[in-house]
Amino acid sequence: MSYTPRQVGAKNTLDYKVFLEKNGKPVSPFHDIPLYADEEKQIFNMVVEIPRWTNGKLEITKEEPLNPIIQDTKKGKLRYVRNCFPHHGYIHNYGAFPQTWEDPNVVHPETKAVGDNDPVDVLEIGETIGYTGQVKQVKVLGIMALLDEGETDWKVIAIDVNDPLAPKLNDVEDVEKYFPGLLRATNEWFRIYKIPDGKPENQFAFSGEAKNKKYALDIVRETHESWKQLIHGKVSDNKGIALTNTTVTDSPTYSATAASEVPAASPQEDAPVDKSIDKWFFISGSA
Amino acid sequence: MFSRVIRSLTMAERLKHTSNLLRVQRQFSQLRQGSKHGPNFKQYLQLANGEIGSYFHDIPLELNFENSTVRMVVEVPRWSNGKFEISKEIEFNPIVQDVKKGKVRFVNNIFPYHGYIHNYGAIPQTWEDPTREIPGFGSTRGDNDPLDCCEIGSSILQMGDVKDVKILGSLALIDDGELDWKVITIDSKDPLADKLNDLQDVDTHMPGLLAATREWFRDYKIPTGKPPNEFAFNGQYKNAQETINTVQECHEAWKRLISGNILGEKIPKIKRAGEGITLASAEEEQTPIPPEVAVWHYV
Repeated sequence: MSYTPRQVGAKNTLDYKVFLEKNGKPVSPFHDIPLYADEEKQIFNMVVEIPRWTNGKLEITKEEPLNPIIQDTKKGKLRYVRNCFPHHGYIHNYGAFPQTWEDPNVVHPETKAVGDNDPVDVLEIGETIGYTGQVKQVKVLGIMALLDEGETDWKVIAIDVNDPLAPKLNDVEDVEKYFPGLLRATNEWFRIYKIPDGKPENQFAFSGEAKNKKYALDIVRETHESWKQLIHGKVSDNKGIALTNTTVTDSPTYSATAASEVPAASPQEDAPVDKSIDKWFFISGSA
Repeated sequence: MFSRVIRSLTMAERLKHTSNLLRVQRQFSQLRQGSKHGPNFKQYLQLANGEIGSYFHDIPLELNFENSTVRMVVEVPRWSNGKFEISKEIEFNPIVQDVKKGKVRFVNNIFPYHGYIHNYGAIPQTWEDPTREIPGFGSTRGDNDPLDCCEIGSSILQMGDVKDVKILGSLALIDDGELDWKVITIDSKDPLADKLNDLQDVDTHMPGLLAATREWFRDYKIPTGKPPNEFAFNGQYKNAQETINTVQECHEAWKRLISGNILGEKIPKIKRAGEGITLASAEEEQTPIPPEVAVWHYV
């Protein structure tokens, strides 16, 4: 079982789209890729949206059938995260778990905030740089609860099962042991990353502490259940999410023909990133 | 018709802008041979008349005491890993990637940093003299290289860029027992350059950067099995004025080097422009960077 990206257009342009396909047939990275690569061994499929050390805010879109990965825009312009010293771009391979949904209709009892209406975000900390549209198998290690503009935005900490350190990492304390400072840097990164855009510091639930693997697995299971409700048309408000899928045959939005409407691959060389994105922002008192 | 007039005016403006760019470019350009990230890659300095020059010897220092500015040659862009440097062994001192045991070298990423954290390069027409003991440094001698330079501006500069930079301070690294100054500078065209005149201004506008710079140079060789680097002056930075003096001393040392009277097997090649020597460009496709260069090291 392997998934490959189908690229349309050039990276860093408004035309850029990365669809996912399996055996040449387009699938939705939100709805069609199974959450579990191996449920018994608790190995998950993760969709990589943003490679480490890059800035483009690429994400699985909720607006378009089969949910290609596209670059977020604001007022018609491509969005990039700013570099907050000492960091460069995103500091993990950033992505999402398929078949999960943070339900915006439900207040989480511990974070006291509604879900952010997205699949659960995943921070993959392995040594290899991923690529947009990569589907990798990961182990879950812990989780942090970012409160991003008043919504719960879980960040699952995970590692590629093929990473040389993966066998040694089994829970959140192993992250601190083998990657000393990474959890703290992650906390800082998410707190300050919107400050250069004039926004206030983000907050974390649980005083910024990373919860352990067991807690993380519970959240992943809960959000998987929320997604099941979503895909089966059982939520009060689906927020207009594109639910077309090619594999969930008992869902009302299953489509046998959607795949054939996806454009053919037309990859082009990356467009240059605007020079202004090279700037390093120094946010005093952040460290 | 009207829109056509507007358009031609815009074109005229564009042409003027382009010709301005060309004028700056024309002073120095570059000529490449081989494949970037391959062991035989060379980037030569090319002068306005087309002849080959030396990045080490043919770019005037232009030390300006009034503005504290000097020239810099960029070797390594910020956030990249390839150890590109002005060659001492090859005539005309092209920029090459350092090679060890036949393999091109990359710096390791030291968490939380990615690659080099400055635009890194050298100050032309300077030399850290390895043949003399330096007063105040015991038996420590210079590392036989041009002065190293860390440019801290907001833009990512490119290999071979020649910039006027403002001197802000310096750090005296002792690297494998040799003195290796790191001069901290900012591109004089950077939006912040007017506000930065000395070390304390760097701390004000870029809090944490000087401490990070020291930490980076202390630790960057640890993943290769070497001990942390040490610093003279307990790791204290020297201020802008003291640094200008160091630049001047190293420029005097360079004059001794270029006189041809200093002999030694490892002394840098001093051949420079003047004989009208040209070379043919022979750039090859870039060699992929090995994936292990992306590893983050926790020290």
